Amino acid sequence: MQHNNNISGVPLFFHRRRCCSVFLFPALNQSRRRLMTSPAPKPAAAESFGSPLDSSDDEAPEEVTFQASKASALQSLKRALDTARREKELLKEKRRRRQELFQEQKVEFPVSWLVVSLKGNYTVQTVKERALASSQQQVALDFLQSRLYGPGSCRTTSNELLSLQNKRGRKKSAAVQFVNKGWGEFSNM
Amino acid sequence: MGEFKVHRVRFFDYMPSAIRAMAFNSRTERLALSRADGALEVFNFADSYFQEKVIPGQDGRAVEALCWVRGRLFSAGLNGEITEYDLENLRPKYTMEAYGGPVWTICSNSQGTHLAIGCEDGTVKIFEVLEETIRFQRNLDRQKGRIISLSWHPSGALIAAGMMDMIKVFNAESGHATHRLLVERGVGASKSREVVVWSVAFLSDHTIISGDSAGKVQVWDGVTGTLVRTHLVTKWDVLALSVSRDESSLLAGTSEGTVVQFQFISSTVDQHDKEWVRTRTFKNHTHDVRALAHTDTAVVSGGMDTQLVVRPLLEKVEKNTQESALRKIAFPHRSLVSCGKKAGMLLFQFHGHLELWRLGESDGHGEEKHTCTLSETHGGCQRWQGDDHICCSALSPCGGWLAYSTISSVRLYRLQYNGSNISITKVAKLPKVLRSAHQLCFSSDSSKLFASTTHSSVIIIALSQSECKYLHTLRPKSGTRQPVHLMSASEDGKWLATANSDCEIHVYSLHKLKLHCTVPVYSSCPTAMAIHPTTSNLVMVHADQQIFEYSLVQKEYTEWSRKLQKQGLHHLWLARDTPITHLTFNPRNPAHIIMHDTYMFCIIDQNLPLPDQKTLFYNQMTLRSLPEPERTSHSHSFKICKTFQHLLCVSLLEDHSLVVVERPLLDIASQLPAPVRQKKFAT
Repeated sequence: MQHNNNISGVPLFFHRRRCCSVFLFPALNQSRRRLMTSPAPKPAAAESFGSPLDSSDDEAPEEVTFQASKASALQSLKRALDTARREKELLKEKRRRRQELFQEQKVEFPVSWLVVSLKGNYTVQTVKERALASSQQQVALDFLQSRLYGPGSCRTTSNELLSLQNKRGRKKSAAVQFVNKGWGEFSNM
Repeated sequence: MGEFKVHRVRFFDYMPSAIRAMAFNSRTERLALSRADGALEVFNFADSYFQEKVIPGQDGRAVEALCWVRGRLFSAGLNGEITEYDLENLRPKYTMEAYGGPVWTICSNSQGTHLAIGCEDGTVKIFEVLEETIRFQRNLDRQKGRIISLSWHPSGALIAAGMMDMIKVFNAESGHATHRLLVERGVGASKSREVVVWSVAFLSDHTIISGDSAGKVQVWDGVTGTLVRTHLVTKWDVLALSVSRDESSLLAGTSEGTVVQFQFISSTVDQHDKEWVRTRTFKNHTHDVRALAHTDTAVVSGGMDTQLVVRPLLEKVEKNTQESALRKIAFPHRSLVSCGKKAGMLLFQFHGHLELWRLGESDGHGEEKHTCTLSETHGGCQRWQGDDHICCSALSPCGGWLAYSTISSVRLYRLQYNGSNISITKVAKLPKVLRSAHQLCFSSDSSKLFASTTHSSVIIIALSQSECKYLHTLRPKSGTRQPVHLMSASEDGKWLATANSDCEIHVYSLHKLKLHCTVPVYSSCPTAMAIHPTTSNLVMVHADQQIFEYSLVQKEYTEWSRKLQKQGLHHLWLARDTPITHLTFNPRNPAHIIMHDTYMFCIIDQNLPLPDQKTLFYNQMTLRSLPEPERTSHSHSFKICKTFQHLLCVSLLEDHSLVVVERPLLDIASQLPAPVRQKKFAT
């Protein structure tokens, strides 16, 4: 009989024999017991604090049937596959939502309608496209802003530039200090 | 000479706008420049780089590119519109929606028949240039990425388009892309980001030169579609390219503030194997260079540090002359400050609002007080997108009236003072004939408002408590179509002088309400003028720093003016590179003329001898060290003071105190956007 010593993950090999005792290490045994029973009241826990090896030194390791371990192994495998599938679904959903949002931004906009009634049964409706144009303008401005001043653009403040000029000029002087603390902050174009 | 109490004013928070694009018209020698706030400026390179015309901006205009087609000026911007400008009336002539999303670039073919624009949606649109308008002709094949830059081949048959990660060459006839040139991304961290081809140039030998965000200038063979050479110029972006007319020199502007020159020369003695070789580097800017123009003799650059720099190329001009000097234009060539002399008030003009200040007592006990800020929100109107910027403003000498104009309207306000409070009432009904004005001026007794309009004519409005009435329109006889950029009314209320960009100066008699005389035209444009209160002499200073004095009564140049012309101005006076923007007189001494430019103010004493070329020109410090009796023998008429800098206005109040409005360039530099971080040795 081959004992499977792989305690960290799902067992990779299943034995044909139906009844098989798997001897688990006491530590693992301990954790399983903690999982299966209700949480112990605090003082009791404090009392039981000590080397986990001590309590079970004299006892034989707990017997777990092959069926039980197989079942638990299958369960954890299923759980892992489920989690992976769920994550994929979540990502897909996120991507789909983002795509929708972009589509929405392109199409749906607070459009205002100006309705004019003419003679007879004719009406004229004018759509104010200003909002759409200004949003596109904003996207273009954001692109420029991020390329020139965004991450990776390696920028510094006016304060540092002026101070460096002071220190490297022919007449060396002190670093620049702004009276108005708002100056020299990273600002937009 | 005299002592003056000085009001030193440093609270005018004037912030110039970054330069976004420029275009040079070599035929007319004009440079057009656009700023981040949408304003357009035209500089006359043949007349000491004088800022001839200013078209105010508009909220949301965002001009990205400019282009000259013969004498016509076109712009395109992120608002998706193409605009043609009326340079005679200083306003947009018309705008045309391009329907391609934000427009990044506009470029005309060398024949001047078509315009190509590059749009956000990936299309290159071709427009036909007609007599009075432009007309959409066709789209080239739509591409997947945005079109950032364009360049026509001189033949007009091919167009090179700089996009994201690539350059495409289009056949302008068929509209199909014939070549795709793949541009390499940056190294390291920037490998994950797309590289933006900010600028392309298509040369007549089918060479394509590109500048991109990875800091490379690449030379491509446009026929085979292959890369010839790569030059890594900077760690940051190469934002602009400009090729000289003879295609022998190329400029590349970078985010570091440097302009790198490449020249098409052969590395060996024989002329056979020419290639593009990097030659010079110019470092005249502290911030990104976003606009470049290569004229026949100079490198013109502008960018985020808001200064226009003209660097003459020393092999093209005579060394050590006025012509070869580096020029930095930091301030506008017109006054943004109006002074209410009798009331001790100052009006500051910003692009979207005005600020009115009352100066404190000149004995030093009073405080300068900010009285109010006038903008479109005053009076309860909401400010919304599409607001036009202010083109001119004026404050009456008594401080009781205030006027400003945009390209669409003129607004007039009545100011009333009770103690320290001020009430501002808008004059609701203005004469319909007053649509917009290029220049505004109040008469010295505040009874009339002069507004200059189209074709250099002037509208006179009579002001009173009850109503404002239209009085008369003064028209020049010359049939000029140019706008007026200078206007000056005399103290005694008799004369009004106007100057336009055709260098014409017209003087009108206000009693007879007609043209009195036209000053003989001088080749340079006047930058400041004023009429003397007692002698009625008109003093004019021009862009080339020449000074003239013309007697309005005799209709001829004065004796002093002839003497000055005969002797010639001192070479140090002529070497100054900023124009005089304001002229005024001293009521206590009729022989004094007070004028200023950005770096100095000067009092000319007409009673003292004129300096000759060998005299020490800046002699104020020397004179002070001499004993009293010796001073008179050494002094000359030009008394220059450089204590106050950088000057936006110098004026004399009625109580004989001097008002000096300074805007140190360091204050402007402190508030500019972030420059690149450069690692310098030992810092």
